Amino acid sequence: MFFKISLLLALAVCAAGLAHKIWSWLTISIDKDDCQYPPGRRLAATLSELGRAVFSGRLGAMLRALVLEGFLQMRSLGHSRTAWLAHVCIFIGFTGLLLFHALGAQLTATLFSGYYPTLDPWLLLRDLLGVMVLVGVGLIIYRRLTVQGLRRITSTTDRMAIVFITVVLLSGFALQALKITSATSFESMQKEYAGLSAPRELHALRSAWAEDYGVIFAPGQTSRDAEVLALGRKLSEDNCVDCHAPAQHAFASYALAAVMRPLALTLDGLQAPQILYYVHFLSCFIGLALLPFTKFLHMVSGPLLLMTNAAVDRKTMDPAARATLRALEMDACSHCGTCTVHCSVAVTVHRIHNQDILPSEKLSALATMVRGSNGDRNHLAQIREGAYTCTNCYRCTRLCPLGINLNDLWVALKRNLYHEGFGDPYQEVAQRSQKAAEQSRSSDTVHVVSGGFQHGLKLSAQAGTFSGCYSCRQCTNACPLVFMSERPNESLDLLPHQVMYSLGLGLKKEAMGARLVWNCLTCYQCQEACPNLVQVTDILYELRYLAAKAASGLEA
Amino acid sequence: MRFALFAGCQVPNFAPQYETSSRLVLKKLGIKLTKVEFNCCGYPLRHQHFNSYLLAAARNLALAEAKGLDILTLCKCCLGSLKRAQSFLAHNPDLMAAVKRELAEEGLAFNGTAQVKHLQTVLHQDVGLERLSDLVVRQMKGLRIATLYGCHALRPSRVTGFDNPYSPHLIDELLEVIGAESVPWAGKLKCCGAPLREKNEVLSLSIINQRFKEVGEAGADVLNVDCSHTLLQIKWAFKMLWPRSVELLKGVVLYPQLLGLAMGIAPEDLDLDENRPRAGFLSNYLAPRTPVSPEENSLVKRLSDHYI
Ligand code: SF4
Ligand code: SF4
Ligand code: SF4
Ligand code: SF4
Repeated sequence: MFFKISLLLALAVCAAGLAHKIWSWLTISIDKDDCQYPPGRRLAATLSELGRAVFSGRLGAMLRALVLEGFLQMRSLGHSRTAWLAHVCIFIGFTGLLLFHALGAQLTATLFSGYYPTLDPWLLLRDLLGVMVLVGVGLIIYRRLTVQGLRRITSTTDRMAIVFITVVLLSGFALQALKITSATSFESMQKEYAGLSAPRELHALRSAWAEDYGVIFAPGQTSRDAEVLALGRKLSEDNCVDCHAPAQHAFASYALAAVMRPLALTLDGLQAPQILYYVHFLSCFIGLALLPFTKFLHMVSGPLLLMTNAAVDRKTMDPAARATLRALEMDACSHCGTCTVHCSVAVTVHRIHNQDILPSEKLSALATMVRGSNGDRNHLAQIREGAYTCTNCYRCTRLCPLGINLNDLWVALKRNLYHEGFGDPYQEVAQRSQKAAEQSRSSDTVHVVSGGFQHGLKLSAQAGTFSGCYSCRQCTNACPLVFMSERPNESLDLLPHQVMYSLGLGLKKEAMGARLVWNCLTCYQCQEACPNLVQVTDILYELRYLAAKAASGLEA
Repeated sequence: MRFALFAGCQVPNFAPQYETSSRLVLKKLGIKLTKVEFNCCGYPLRHQHFNSYLLAAARNLALAEAKGLDILTLCKCCLGSLKRAQSFLAHNPDLMAAVKRELAEEGLAFNGTAQVKHLQTVLHQDVGLERLSDLVVRQMKGLRIATLYGCHALRPSRVTGFDNPYSPHLIDELLEVIGAESVPWAGKLKCCGAPLREKNEVLSLSIINQRFKEVGEAGADVLNVDCSHTLLQIKWAFKMLWPRSVELLKGVVLYPQLLGLAMGIAPEDLDLDENRPRAGFLSNYLAPRTPVSPEENSLVKRLSDHYI
């Protein structure tokens, strides 16, 4: 009864959660432009895109994607065999347990006559599948601990997911192990199936099961006498083996049972099997209920996404359907970290200290943003830094095992940030520096700051070379920006030699705010031309760093 | 000969034909390539964050070093970025120490032994014109090519060591080997405007427009570039300046594609039509190779002796 009610409850929560998610795939907008499509339009567009794909013969490709990319994870085979093995173990183990164990009575029994969970192959299979999942979880833990980058992003949610699966699995194994040793279980089964009542026979059967299958009885209830055992084995033959394979075939549980032997009687007395039974099925039901709200949702959204990717072309598809697809992607990430491990700019987090540079974290940030909780402006600035550090290399998109088109999302992310007033940081720093310089220029005083500034430009050691400038203007004559402009002093504020000379005078603010600095092509013609080896271009670069640093609050 | 191929962030996705044609050509030359998962060369980071630029660049050098290989780059901005970082580190022990420490956390030893070379340097120096010439079975008869050397390969020349920054000849000679003519033109050593594309569109476009005009004025049949950022810049600008751009620029081509054609690789394997503007028409220029007269031969030899 309790079992039924909790199952129904879990199913109801799961169904409601899924419905809520599906609704969100039709309503949340990842890109600002996606807002214009009402849910009805999005649903219609999505269905018609899929319908068109199916009728134009893409069904094969979709099924292929489902099996090869979804079930078998062929996408990850190329970059990590361990990750692939972990997934395949968990996938096969989990699916097998779901079909042959959880749904055994409902599904397997109708397909295979003579299904008995205590008979082979089911008894053996259950342990085998369980062990597969455990091996998969073990591999995941191993990777999370050893792979650079994965450790950094492993979150509480990831840990809880691992703990959760382990609880389900271990409670299952422990339950089975206790049942193997449990005298109580033996008695009730015996009563139901064999129905022996003669004390001699009971004694013999107990003795045989204790000897052969590891059941633990209270002292004095069994004997090891050969005659008794022979009788017990015969009784077992007649009454039990038809629907009970040897307990040893549940190899993992049997091994666990052997370990628990000394405690078996006590545990049996404490009704431990009963308690474990509750732990096991309740944890399964909790998992079922939480599925739509956790990263386990990728079991549903992942295959959906992979199949859709195989069916439609993102570039040419109906934008209303694309809006749905993008929203679906917010729920497809399993936080596996593949994108982050291979990201071209992941290395920068050692020096910029911003997790949102890493694609997996940037995606979470985006997902939070589109669900309406922006966080404070500091966090937005942090996300922006992540968005603009990306080099658009597409590695994350190419490698994501769930088929999430991250680069498409990065475009949307930048647009969203722009709407919140967080545009290209380069432009922002440039404008800020230019404004400061303008203010300084508009005052009437002569600007000289004696000495002092040499130490400001020290990142690259050579940047201090501005003091060697003797103002010959070779750099300026070589500069294409100067060449292209009719009135270079108006369009660039300061010319290359003037920037060098300003620095010599200590006019940092003026130099940093010159439009030359912010429009420099980094073509190195000036630097090449300088007869006194002033590192003109590198100095202009360094002025940008100084300005960026100043803008981020850290005074340079 | 074996190198670690540094394809960069843009090539695999936006110009895969650059990598495929390079691989085909290098294979014919017996040069082996090892796949190393490099990170960003640091060039895009360099505009705002010096320290992360340096670490990113150094990590690549360390990855190659761990394999005992030198790096072969396809992109000239990658080349410049890695080379500049090498020299920053070589001149500044503090920077070097910090980078070493951080890379050591990842188990990477960094001593800066790996060299960085652009594909064209490898072809010109490590393979050599003579061997290239031996493998050329067809010629690009009468093809007039304007070549763009690329700022970050040429300069700062003390750091990149690519060629003479004012009168380079490396690419011209590579073009001669396949029987094409490298035409003189005003933009040869100049900037393509790519670094400003996302910072000042108008300026960036007007710079590349200048280059288009110069190519048109020189009457070149095709523009040769070997830098992924220039390639992207041209693709973008060609669309933006449409339809005027069509009259000025008839096609853009990568050197490995040209060399591949001359070596007898099938044009369809070189994906010339993936370039923007396309360069598929170049296969029309292919002609059987005519034997070189002894005088000509010695001239080439004399020239290359002089240059090298
Ligand atoms: S985006 Fe893809 S690759 Fe990245 S963590 Fe999520 S599922 Fe993994
Ligand atoms: S596209 Fe951006 S986020 Fe994705 S791997 Fe490349 S640099 Fe990282
Ligand atoms: S070329 Fe060198 S010395 Fe001459 S003005 Fe420029 S920075 Fe100064
Ligand atoms: S590097 Fe900048 S300042 Fe120097 S010549 Fe080029 S555009 Fe002018």
